[in-house]
Amino acid sequence: MTATTATTATTATTATTLVPRRRRGPGRKAVLPWLFLAPGLLLALVFKFLPMGKGIWLSFFDVRPFLGDKWVGLDNYTRVLTDHRFQDAVGHTLLLGIGQSLGAIVVGFFLALLLEGQARSLKIIRTAVFLPVVTATAVVGELWRLMYYPTSDGLVNSALGLLGLGPTPFLDNPDTALWATMVMGVWIAAPYNMVIILAGLAGVDRTLYEAAAMDGVSLWQRLRYVTLPAIRPAIGIVLTLAAIRGLRVFTEVYVLTGGGPAGSTEVWMTRAYTLGFTRNDIGGASAASVVLLAVTLLLTVSVNHFRKRGDVR
Amino acid sequence: MGVRRRSRRLAAMITVAGLAFGAAACGSGSDSAGSGDPNTLEVWTRSNPDPAATYERVFAAFTRKTGIKIDYQPVINFDQQLQSRASTKDLPDVMINDTALMGSYQSQGLLKSIDPASIEGHDQITDKTWASTVGTDGEHYGIPYSRQAQTLMIRTDWLRKLGLRTPTTWAEMLSVAKAFAERDPDGDGRKDTYGMVVPGSAQNGYAAWWGASFLWSGGAKIIEKDGTGYRPAMDSAAAVRTVTWMKDNLFCGDNGVIQPGAISAITGTATNFQDGNAGMYLTGPYNIATYDATPGKDTYEVVPFPAGPAGSTVLADGENVYFGARTGKAKQEQALAAFLISPEGQRLAMTGKNQPVVRIPVNSTLDAAQVRDDPRWSVVQRAYEDASEQFPNAPDFAPIKQDTADALNAVFTYCGSDVGAGLKELNDTLAGDLKDQDLLK
Repeated sequence: MTATTATTATTATTATTLVPRRRRGPGRKAVLPWLFLAPGLLLALVFKFLPMGKGIWLSFFDVRPFLGDKWVGLDNYTRVLTDHRFQDAVGHTLLLGIGQSLGAIVVGFFLALLLEGQARSLKIIRTAVFLPVVTATAVVGELWRLMYYPTSDGLVNSALGLLGLGPTPFLDNPDTALWATMVMGVWIAAPYNMVIILAGLAGVDRTLYEAAAMDGVSLWQRLRYVTLPAIRPAIGIVLTLAAIRGLRVFTEVYVLTGGGPAGSTEVWMTRAYTLGFTRNDIGGASAASVVLLAVTLLLTVSVNHFRKRGDVR
Repeated sequence: MGVRRRSRRLAAMITVAGLAFGAAACGSGSDSAGSGDPNTLEVWTRSNPDPAATYERVFAAFTRKTGIKIDYQPVINFDQQLQSRASTKDLPDVMINDTALMGSYQSQGLLKSIDPASIEGHDQITDKTWASTVGTDGEHYGIPYSRQAQTLMIRTDWLRKLGLRTPTTWAEMLSVAKAFAERDPDGDGRKDTYGMVVPGSAQNGYAAWWGASFLWSGGAKIIEKDGTGYRPAMDSAAAVRTVTWMKDNLFCGDNGVIQPGAISAITGTATNFQDGNAGMYLTGPYNIATYDATPGKDTYEVVPFPAGPAGSTVLADGENVYFGARTGKAKQEQALAAFLISPEGQRLAMTGKNQPVVRIPVNSTLDAAQVRDDPRWSVVQRAYEDASEQFPNAPDFAPIKQDTADALNAVFTYCGSDVGAGLKELNDTLAGDLKDQDLLK
């Protein structure tokens, strides 16, 4: 929907530049796109930007709505950033975000290669593979918690049992809990990436494949020199989305492990949630969220920058 | 063109920022349907649909009797929603929630202070129970509504099959737990049963909530009153001894004493007693209705918590009625509170086909076992009256409970850890929590 709106806006703007009357000031045609955009912008203002502004404002206060908020300057930031639990949570977030993003891109890419085509059976399989994306994350988390059940009754452990491996307490061992969460995250996100990459693959010029086949290149060379360069824009989109999504991971962790055991899966957002809603420290939670906002922004801009530099090259 | 592109880029960046921050930022409040009507009270309870049906019955009876309407909202994620509403300074008129949260609400200024004498029927609540609603400044901030104490639910059919007796000490409880895990009490020929259910996750402070009865019965305390303030007490010899016993025997001892995954379980996921594969569960009496359905009323009994080194004192908790700050409906709120604590209101909330929302009545003219015609409730009532201790309600206990749960969960997770060092660190953290509230002595 956003893409359609943007296209409409661009087309309308381009059309406007062709009309000589445009030079005399903003005419009716210039206002029209903004009229179409207004409902969306209004919703974004009320539900996104005002709360965001309020969150930034609250991060400088000891929040006590009925006793009067107390200005504390940067104290909330200092307290949050020097808290070793928060520092650990940031480390877990980065590990989880990077691992999950890269894993989901690689798996999504291979799924796309496997499921590219027009056959009806492929459409059914693609729909089945896409299911994790449209299923509520809380439900997925509950399913995986059952799959990771730490005895041989659990699905994963019963499969390991067939290979002669003993049951593993995936979620109860602090050394494995984060990795187990990452695997679930990859499972959820990979089909989404698959769809974007499939769209990219559909645009690859088939004659290049034919030429490559005539030249007798290997499968790896075909991937390396034809497929990957052709789907670079799709990979760029997937990377940008992964950068945003990776840092905001919350539901998966909250449902699957609640941040435990012993804080081994605590991430940025679960820590902010605990601060805000278990400890009632809204100022601290806001400060943690503002830092997350800043880092996400930085990461998104960096990814875009490197993507564009790659495109130019 | 360049300017336009730059402005589009800026707009895109702001959008990304909004998307990233929207989830974390505070939500805006919502006006309740009847918040403007002086004859309508907006009432919130932290309830799932089943207990909410009981509340609806109680409020309907109140409306029939007084003509005051109730805009009732059962809220599952209560604290999150309450903080959102607090940020807009538009609180519900009346809230019914845990006793241990009173200090937290009071410290944020969310509650109106209450004069017990202004509530009709206040003299039918004992002084001891009224004392549990006094805040740090000596004022009352809640009206007692329901109380409960933890008791042990135990599979009597399993005990009979294995020729065992109901345990009365921790050592006996441990022996029974091992027998339940190893001697195939369900007779299916498989080693698929466990001794005891434990919600041991730190999430929402569960490890501290479930572990408190062990701490109390082991002679330990989390914090202690000291003059006008408090001091942390988790580095005591009794605390170290108790937590070491729990770690060595339950979490790091023989496999099967507690259910698999206990270290990351919360009450919602610790369903093994109900599922029929665990033989004991130390929990609140609100589960009685559920367990009467499965595993079945004739398969288990409700018994006092087996005694530890310092007796069998268990965690007591319950719910209070709170009045939201600045609502301007004092008369209607007081009328509702009077109905809720009256024999009629308490009886209605204790009976019916749905989960009861009053467990042990605060009204001293009622007897839980008589009202329900079920002698098991007298076990709970005796546990509450004779051998229970609540989390302190006067300080903001939320961070104290969470820090205690985090520390206990970590000790139970790392079997090779030094319990003394872990609890010393916890004690320092608790001192910080009390200092933040200007209550450290």
